[in-house]
Amino acid sequence: MARRPWRVVRSILVHGAALLMGWAVGAQTPSDADLAATQAATKKTFQEKVAPFVSTYCTECHGDKKRKGGISFSTALKNPGGTAFQKQWKQAASVIQRHDMPPEDAKMQPTPEEAATFIEWVANSKYLSSKDPGPFVIRRLNRTELGNTLHDLLSVDPAIVGDLPEEVTGAGYLNTLSPLLMEQYLSIASAVLERALAPENAPPNAIQTRLFGPTPPPGTDPREEARKVAVSLARSAFRRPAAQAEIDVLLRVFDLAKEDGRSYPSALRLMLKAVLVSPQFLFITPAHGPETANEIIPLDDHQLASRLSYLLWSTMPDSELFALADAGKLHEPEVLAAQVRRLLASPRSRALFDGFGAQWLGVGKLAAKTFDTAKFPQMTPALRRAMYDEARLLFETIVRENRSTAVFIESDFTFLNDTLAPLYGLEKQVAGPQMRRVQLTNPQRGGILSMPGILANTSFPDRTSPVNRGVWVLEQVLGEHVPPPPPNVPSLEKQDKRKVASLTLRQRTELHRTNPVCASCHKILDPIGFGLENFDAIGRWRDQDENGGAIDAAGELPGAKHFSSPRELRQILSERAGDLSRNLAGKLLAYALCRQLEGYDEIVLDGMSNAIAQDGFRMQTLIIKVVTSYPFTHRRIHEQAAPPPNAKKMAH
Amino acid sequence: MQRKWLIDRRTYLRGLGASLALPLLDCMGWADLPKAARYKAPVRLGFMYMPHGVIPEQFWPSAPETFLSEAAPCLESLRPVLSECLLMKGISGVPIAPFNGAPHALELSTWLTASLPDSKRRNVVNIAISADQIAANYIGGLTALPSLELATMPQTHKENQEGLNEAYYSHCSFRSPTQPLPAETNPRNVFNRLFKDPAQRGASTADGTRAPADPLERRMLDLVLGGARDLRRTLGSSDQHKLDEYLDSVRSLERRIASIEYRQKEAALEAAGVSVSKRNASDSPPLEVKIPEGDRRSDYMKVMCDLTVLAFQTDTTRVSTYIGSTPNGVSYPELGFTDEHHSVTHHNKGAEKVGKVARIAAFNVEQFAHMIQRMHSLREGEGTLLDNCIMMWGSGLEDGNNHTRENLPFILAGRGGGAIQPGRFIAGVKGNQGDLLGTLLSSAGIPLDRPIGIATKLLPEINAA
Repeated sequence: MARRPWRVVRSILVHGAALLMGWAVGAQTPSDADLAATQAATKKTFQEKVAPFVSTYCTECHGDKKRKGGISFSTALKNPGGTAFQKQWKQAASVIQRHDMPPEDAKMQPTPEEAATFIEWVANSKYLSSKDPGPFVIRRLNRTELGNTLHDLLSVDPAIVGDLPEEVTGAGYLNTLSPLLMEQYLSIASAVLERALAPENAPPNAIQTRLFGPTPPPGTDPREEARKVAVSLARSAFRRPAAQAEIDVLLRVFDLAKEDGRSYPSALRLMLKAVLVSPQFLFITPAHGPETANEIIPLDDHQLASRLSYLLWSTMPDSELFALADAGKLHEPEVLAAQVRRLLASPRSRALFDGFGAQWLGVGKLAAKTFDTAKFPQMTPALRRAMYDEARLLFETIVRENRSTAVFIESDFTFLNDTLAPLYGLEKQVAGPQMRRVQLTNPQRGGILSMPGILANTSFPDRTSPVNRGVWVLEQVLGEHVPPPPPNVPSLEKQDKRKVASLTLRQRTELHRTNPVCASCHKILDPIGFGLENFDAIGRWRDQDENGGAIDAAGELPGAKHFSSPRELRQILSERAGDLSRNLAGKLLAYALCRQLEGYDEIVLDGMSNAIAQDGFRMQTLIIKVVTSYPFTHRRIHEQAAPPPNAKKMAH
Repeated sequence: MQRKWLIDRRTYLRGLGASLALPLLDCMGWADLPKAARYKAPVRLGFMYMPHGVIPEQFWPSAPETFLSEAAPCLESLRPVLSECLLMKGISGVPIAPFNGAPHALELSTWLTASLPDSKRRNVVNIAISADQIAANYIGGLTALPSLELATMPQTHKENQEGLNEAYYSHCSFRSPTQPLPAETNPRNVFNRLFKDPAQRGASTADGTRAPADPLERRMLDLVLGGARDLRRTLGSSDQHKLDEYLDSVRSLERRIASIEYRQKEAALEAAGVSVSKRNASDSPPLEVKIPEGDRRSDYMKVMCDLTVLAFQTDTTRVSTYIGSTPNGVSYPELGFTDEHHSVTHHNKGAEKVGKVARIAAFNVEQFAHMIQRMHSLREGEGTLLDNCIMMWGSGLEDGNNHTRENLPFILAGRGGGAIQPGRFIAGVKGNQGDLLGTLLSSAGIPLDRPIGIATKLLPEINAA
């Protein structure tokens, strides 16, 4: 993807916000009283400084009358803390910071102090958000989760869902249902019955005996027996106790079959099919609790059990989680933390990497990525799998051994087999197809920045892309936001073509930096990308590029930090373990909630990051903080009210 | 996770080198009409997409007068059927401000909606019902499937430009503003979906066994639907909205089962000597679809096109969309180079990349041409299947190099049952994407209760005098 990112703004907008508010490092999530005070101060600044600033310098072109570029501040001014406007404020701060706005020919220009106040306020605008776990919507099981759940419930191969479309999981999850999906769910239900149960009229198999119990002896009321089966079936398939009305529906299905003259086992079979196409099975739904006028309530324990289990195992809760939920204990923070540790210790927590880790590190795309087969004939499915497994095993080691997240950047070990080892030049040391832990002695290697799978994923099919690598490190590792290039960026090729032709890729890319529009972003992106140029497009070490030119991996990052090799670059980046942890915690929280973070989430993340830092950036602590966080454990049950009551006052 | 066709196709097509026979042939009214009475075939609407635009100089015909005699390089494959095609220059796309940083996230999702996403909540899908679904709402109830959605690649692109939900990259059909429709990517599944009872289709049964249909299925679904309505009442309003999607999908499923039952009744009537046939003696027999072995993209796209033809020919659906490729990460190794489509479109007029973009566009038009020629070769009523269709091929950008959308490239084919007069190139049309979509729908006899997206008018130029 030839994205040409051009500016890094987030560091100003996000980092340092906690410092500005005067919280000591290590403070836990601020108390509600602290937050209220901060919110009041942020509102005051808005009324006294920001609203006049916007009215003076912005609204003439971006207001009610004119909406240049489709941008207007009139609604944002009425509800400055609205989550919908956070992106708009951040964009405004970045154009002010770059002096792109107001345009040069505008009547008035803000003073540096005014501009600084505005930018600082935008960084703090998250404090206008009220304490809110975010919009909660019941969630459909994704393809992997459905397969695993059917496996746990009915011992069928999870691949039985194979025909369902592949899905984006996590923050971009498309939580919708369509007629096509519903048809597929019905087909899957039919196939599951066929696979799991003995043929009709044949003696029941073990699964039937487990689900349906024995055939009731003559003299008993079959409907009463069916009711018991329905209760237990619904409890496990719905992952919570079923309401009376829900049991009644299943019994009506039973009656339907009986009225049609079906046998008792055959009627139960139809009932099971009804369970498998019910919304309570296909979605994670709350138990029907007592009516409440509260807008926000804690998740009930069964819903929490599901949320936790689907996050770490991509499947339904096991019996221990069920028991804790039944006992009403799961929501207790210590109990919840202990369960996180237990789930992570199990091999089933591999699901966390397959669902989340692979997406974070981008290695999930490797299997299908196109490579130039003439240049890289070794990019076979086996090598791609080994690359994926190398990233997975490092991730799982950091999780299970509860290591610091800094190990992602700096580690002296990795996992190799005989397919992958040649890329490290270790083909003599490693034999056999089994992935095993290997101690690294070459200081240029270790951690995700020198991992072939990741280096390959950020390359073009036939060559490296220093820009892609730079963007990847900034966005995926450090959590910076790299915006897309503005329209009308003058292209490199507009330079004198003959002059450009004689330059190396590095020299050509550096032309970005002669143009002030591009420079401020590329001065961070490019050094990182070029600092990794010693690794080719599939992650092998090289001293010369494709054209035989020597690799120049030296560079400088802001703060006069010089480096001359990938190893030194890595050392500089490893000092930013705090940023890495915050980024990882934010991404995991978004993945767990299946939505983007906004507003109040940022405040939660600040508190979480401090606590994680205090515990040496340990991975299990990070996961526990996410699972015990307010947005993970609560839900909003009524629509958010329109703008806060004082919004009007603030606009004037 | 984004996946490319190369690998997927291998999985799909493994061991499938076989031609598929219609299982329900004898219960679909394929017997001939006994008397001279003629059955008037309905109008069908089909859309096929390619991202990233074209090389305009190689796409647009040089002049209206020479349209039929001098095919533009990109249209070479259409030469035998140019008399059935209509091109118009001057149809503009949706201006994408304030999403200027998201040209590719929006090119596909604005294509059939002519609308922009909700800018307030960008990470949830909220755009507009798409033109194909407006059509499906009107004529979809008359066929087994209201509409057919096909794609070449899984719709899982993971990137968000301007904070827009990933789904905007890879979907063009929206059943409602918040409900993007997933597309089928596996030809075998498409075939099963078109011609087999949904309850009979066991998912991924590698051994080929099928679970038997249960005659009580529809009534069971009715009870489940009742239970879902109970559940809906206990939920908050946004959750209720999710349940509405469920209710709608189950109802649609019930209709599917009912239509299969209806076909079976028709078959019984035919067997008893009562003709309910919906075809004429002179009509071509149904197309035999061959699912190829190997992993050539062209073979794969052609079979998807054939399935569309078959679905139209058998009146299994009257509305289709085919996303030939999505806006990111696609390569065409079959053409002898591995460059990603997107990266070569930023060609800055460099000859090599321009050549590659032109070849990719010509390749995509070739697959469309294959479909059009098939339709043109099948007799239906007084003319051909194509005569009763309105087919549109197009892209959401004009020129991918600088993301222009002033003159969107479109190829229309077919006569829409006589409403459209093809064989022309109309230069200097003044209209937008919404105008065009509205005109196509109204040419197909679909009444519009409001303009589509940014539409302001109809384009009578395309209609037959």
